Amino acid sequence: MLDRSAQLLGAEATRAQSLGKTLRRLGGYFRRYLWAVVLTGLLIVAATYMQITVPDLTGQAVDCYLGPFTAGQSGRETAGGLSGIPGDLQASIQGSQAFGNCWYTTPNPAAETSQVLAGLGGLILLIIALYTGSAVISGIQFYLMAWAGNYALRDIQVQVFKHLHRLSLGYFNRQESGDVMSRFTSDIDTLQQVIGFGLVSVFQGGLLIVWTIWVMFEKSFGFALVSLVTLPLMIVVTQWLSNQARRAFRQARKEIGAVNADLQESISSVREVQAFGREEENIQQFNTQNAANRDANVRAQMFTSALAPSLEALSYVSLAIVAAVGGFYILSGRDFLSTTLSVGLIITFINYSQQFNRPVQQIALLWTNLQSAIAGAERIFTLLDQAPDIADAPDARPMPEIRGHVRFERVEAEYNPGDRILKGIDLEASPGETIAIVGPTGAGKTTIINLIPRFWDVTAGRILIDGLDIRSATRDSLRRQIGIVLQDTFLFSDTVMNNIRYGRPEATDDEVVAAARLARANDFITKLSSGYETVLGERGSGLSQGQRQLIAIARVALTDPKILILDEATSSVDTRTEMQIQEALERLHEGRTSFVIAHRLSTIRNADQVLVLRDGEIIERGRHQSLFDARGFYHDLYMKQFRRRQETAEPSIPI
Amino acid sequence: MTRSTDRQEKQRVPKSLGRAVGYLARYPRLAVFATLSLLIATGAQLAVPQLIQNIIDAIVSNALNQAILSIPAQFQDLALQRLGLDLTAVQTELNQANQTLLTASLIVVLFATARGLFTFAQGYLSHMLSENIAFELRSDLFAKIQRLSFSYHDRNRTGQLMIRATDDVERLRGFLGQGLLLALQSFLMLAGTIIILFSSNARLTLVVLPVLPIAIIVFMVFGSVAQPLFAEVQKRLGAVNTTLQENLAGLKVIKASVSERREQEKFDREVDHLLQQRVKVARVFSFLFPFIFLTANLGQAAILYFGGRQIIDGTFSIGEWLKFSLYLTFVFIPMGQLGFIISLMAQAAASAGRIFEILDAHNDVENRPGARELPSISGKIEFKRVGFRYFGSSEPVLSDISLTAEPGQTIALLGSTGSGKSTIINLIPRFYDVTEGQICIDGHNIREVTIESLRRQIGIVLQETTLFSGTIRDNIAFGRPEASDEEIIAAARAAAAHDFIETFPEGYDTLVGERGSTLSGGQKQRLAIARALLLDPRILILDDSTSSVDLNTEYLIQQALDTLMAGRTSFVIAQRISTVVNADQIIVLENGRIADRGSHEELLERSPIYAEIYHSQLSENVRLDPA
Repeated sequence: MLDRSAQLLGAEATRAQSLGKTLRRLGGYFRRYLWAVVLTGLLIVAATYMQITVPDLTGQAVDCYLGPFTAGQSGRETAGGLSGIPGDLQASIQGSQAFGNCWYTTPNPAAETSQVLAGLGGLILLIIALYTGSAVISGIQFYLMAWAGNYALRDIQVQVFKHLHRLSLGYFNRQESGDVMSRFTSDIDTLQQVIGFGLVSVFQGGLLIVWTIWVMFEKSFGFALVSLVTLPLMIVVTQWLSNQARRAFRQARKEIGAVNADLQESISSVREVQAFGREEENIQQFNTQNAANRDANVRAQMFTSALAPSLEALSYVSLAIVAAVGGFYILSGRDFLSTTLSVGLIITFINYSQQFNRPVQQIALLWTNLQSAIAGAERIFTLLDQAPDIADAPDARPMPEIRGHVRFERVEAEYNPGDRILKGIDLEASPGETIAIVGPTGAGKTTIINLIPRFWDVTAGRILIDGLDIRSATRDSLRRQIGIVLQDTFLFSDTVMNNIRYGRPEATDDEVVAAARLARANDFITKLSSGYETVLGERGSGLSQGQRQLIAIARVALTDPKILILDEATSSVDTRTEMQIQEALERLHEGRTSFVIAHRLSTIRNADQVLVLRDGEIIERGRHQSLFDARGFYHDLYMKQFRRRQETAEPSIPI
Repeated sequence: MTRSTDRQEKQRVPKSLGRAVGYLARYPRLAVFATLSLLIATGAQLAVPQLIQNIIDAIVSNALNQAILSIPAQFQDLALQRLGLDLTAVQTELNQANQTLLTASLIVVLFATARGLFTFAQGYLSHMLSENIAFELRSDLFAKIQRLSFSYHDRNRTGQLMIRATDDVERLRGFLGQGLLLALQSFLMLAGTIIILFSSNARLTLVVLPVLPIAIIVFMVFGSVAQPLFAEVQKRLGAVNTTLQENLAGLKVIKASVSERREQEKFDREVDHLLQQRVKVARVFSFLFPFIFLTANLGQAAILYFGGRQIIDGTFSIGEWLKFSLYLTFVFIPMGQLGFIISLMAQAAASAGRIFEILDAHNDVENRPGARELPSISGKIEFKRVGFRYFGSSEPVLSDISLTAEPGQTIALLGSTGSGKSTIINLIPRFYDVTEGQICIDGHNIREVTIESLRRQIGIVLQETTLFSGTIRDNIAFGRPEASDEEIIAAARAAAAHDFIETFPEGYDTLVGERGSTLSGGQKQRLAIARALLLDPRILILDDSTSSVDLNTEYLIQQALDTLMAGRTSFVIAQRISTVVNADQIIVLENGRIADRGSHEELLERSPIYAEIYHSQLSENVRLDPA
């Protein structure tokens, strides 16, 4: 109410590529709620009819009931005092020419005051009935549309969410996850704003304008033309101002983004700023940005501030024109383009011309938002049309219980067609073996481990587990038997208990605690404020990096997988936790086939096979010692480390 | 937040709002002109119905005049007599009728234009005013936050401070700039209209007046009902978005644990929860809005009837009735606005309270009155029985720390997490002030010198290097923006950063930080070293825990650090064996006390704690390759 126009004008504006198609598809979501939509349409028509009839009835009240009495204005005698003057002349004095406007009742100038009053009362009761009806109808209509809109929106949301899970990781690799998130939330939000209130307002406003114009023309063609003279001007002014405002707001949005980025950066790194004594420079820099934001906003507000006053002024001008022209014709006693004007008609037209103000402004403001919402819907539909990359084969069977033999045969993989990440990988892991994968960034280490649980599918070659091509098994049955510990531990905002239980919701509390013990996580968990029932904050905040890793390990331990996939964390954690993690992982490796992207020396030394990966190919493989002796790529890495070790006299390391 | 601070906040709130209103005085011209525009615009608005009445009355009475003059002459006199009119007066009035009509219409146009212009001026000026106040508030907040000591930032999260500088400022801006003026305008309109209504027709006013309390009640209900409803929508929307966010960020975990269905069920539940609240809002609104309009319309119907009666009685004219009807619409809009503004006021007051809480926060590290500049130092650092405890905590983090570092010495600090290593290095540049004892540099108590002159002579390389949005050059020159290109490149070379910088197409002009390209941990660390080298400080503070870097990089970093430390007094939280072995003194900390000190050989021989730390913490910290 306070700043609604600024709010609407400040929203991002985009346009749909194929309007008709998107609208039809959007309409499809309303099919289930069709009755509500149809009913809303009917109610809009009814409400508009009432809005149009009331000013007309008000005019009737003036011309048919009150007009005759104006001859007896204050300070003069009453109408009854005209006795002695012939009836037709009396009628003329009492403004009988205005009776042409009367369709509600046939006025009787000779009627008693009480009779007139009763008639007027009846008319007003009708007006009150119309007012009440219109209130009830617009209430129902608003509710129905909001109801249907929100339900349709819910259907879209649920469908999109379901679809997100069907898309492979490849999709999210191509699209920034923040991008998907903002598309989902902001597009749905725009739709939400428009779908209930906006759509009804635009339709009702449009109908009201058209209908009013039609009625005006019907009553008096010429007078309608005169009354509508400011309408085109209103539309042009609104259009121009809102376009300018939108452009200015776009700039302002950029500036506030920059201000927020500045703030965020300076607050989060305030320690560095103080360490280097940069406070003054930062404050100055911020104020430049801050001032730019202020100026952009002031500029945008200049246009919004002009919008309502110009429309208001124009509607007063049109009111003056209606009154002046109408008055002139009444006084000259001439018909205006074959219509006899009356005071009541002038009042009706004044009311009509005042009714334009609101819908014109509303439509102008909402129109672009409506377009943006449709564009948003189009983006959502594009997402829905994204074919799931990985689907189970039609004849896919559940994966039998895995013993742990894994074999890669000439495996190739690419994220983008033609861009091979893996080039003919062969490898074989016997049950219980640990395979360490090393190599520089971008060599394809992560891709290898992503292929095993079928986060991606191979583009050539095949992967066999216990002799079975994993593409012939259903993904769910495969993944249930694989445990994955990622480098960046993801925790849900839920209790510690539920976070560990995540992969096996049916696990008992005792099983969870046992898994936590195995992962050496029990000690620190019991020290948390509410133990296992401690609710972790957003993304597991409140725990150290190392503690989060321990929880992730416990989570996997609980599922008791046959194959273990591990991306060792590289970030530094404190030493005690680091040792706990090592121990926990070693326990976890026992009796499982493990694939590890290795960053720790101990992991590599203990591995049954070390694969050295470069540019998507395995260039060296074997155990740590034999690789070292071969004096190849791996040797170089190790030598650098060895040289530094010698400087400091190698201590006895308990590995 | 505890209950007692809650109460304090409540007491502070009204005062804060008053203080925020005081910001208006910083822009007296804008405030005065905005108020003047408001007065003129409101005056013009109030005049319009009267002007319209003039037009209608002119039409109606002249229509009568004309009718009388047009009837046959023999009845004219009778009619005039019966109506109590005078022929010449009637004729003159009629002759001037068109003129009167035209003048009255033009006056309406004139007033409409004035109204439009001044409403615009009022809106524009008040926006300008509010944006300027927001500017001031943000600027003050930013400056304060930048200067507040570490202990303040320990207690407050970035996100919370952000919200104060963005949402709270925005809310206060909305209220101060527009809310206050609108409240004044609404009040003037309301008062003016009621006075005019009473003076023109008291009886009729009394008939419609009872509608007003109803309207006020409706608006107040609206204000109090809407707020919690929307808050609940926001809360539920937040839950939906959190689930979505988690599903995107934790997609791999979810897929790996085959939990898609469970997540879908959770999401569906939350969306339904949101839907129900939205439908509830719609239900409330679809009752409230039409009800408000209906109340206003019933007022109109009432004056049509009762006004009509008076017209029939001859005590009221059609023009007056139309005027009345227009004025009545003037009563409703300001009442709605007032109701809305009152609901805004509570929020604005809370926001103001939160903003001033920061602006008034006590900075516990400040220059003492009469603090001197620290002269150029040679680098001797003495801790004299230093103790420290964090704000509001009774547990000391450090107690009884005494040590002396001669110029050029390297002091290695060892100890488990929480032993007080970081606290010691934070005390030297006065990120915190000691709570007991004193720290002297070249014999100057650091609390007696200015913070700026102290920090300028200390170089700091923290464990996590934050890069700022800007070029690599800006980031190296962070502590010395006036440094020449040659100096910057020399520093980068010494920090083994020059080579990788040169591999970027834009070289030193490469944009980094939040909006630029990302650098690896090792690259960031070398930029931090270059940054410290460029300052050429006498004292160096170093947290050398390696983050994820490959061996080659680690080697380069090690060499860069050796260059950096050469000839400077260095305090190092040591993770590398070479650092410890080469240190002049090793300080072993345990529970905030010095457990042992000496050289590597001495300690290895006699200190079991040192041996344990040495073996467990320092050896396994080498990693094979980058992330």
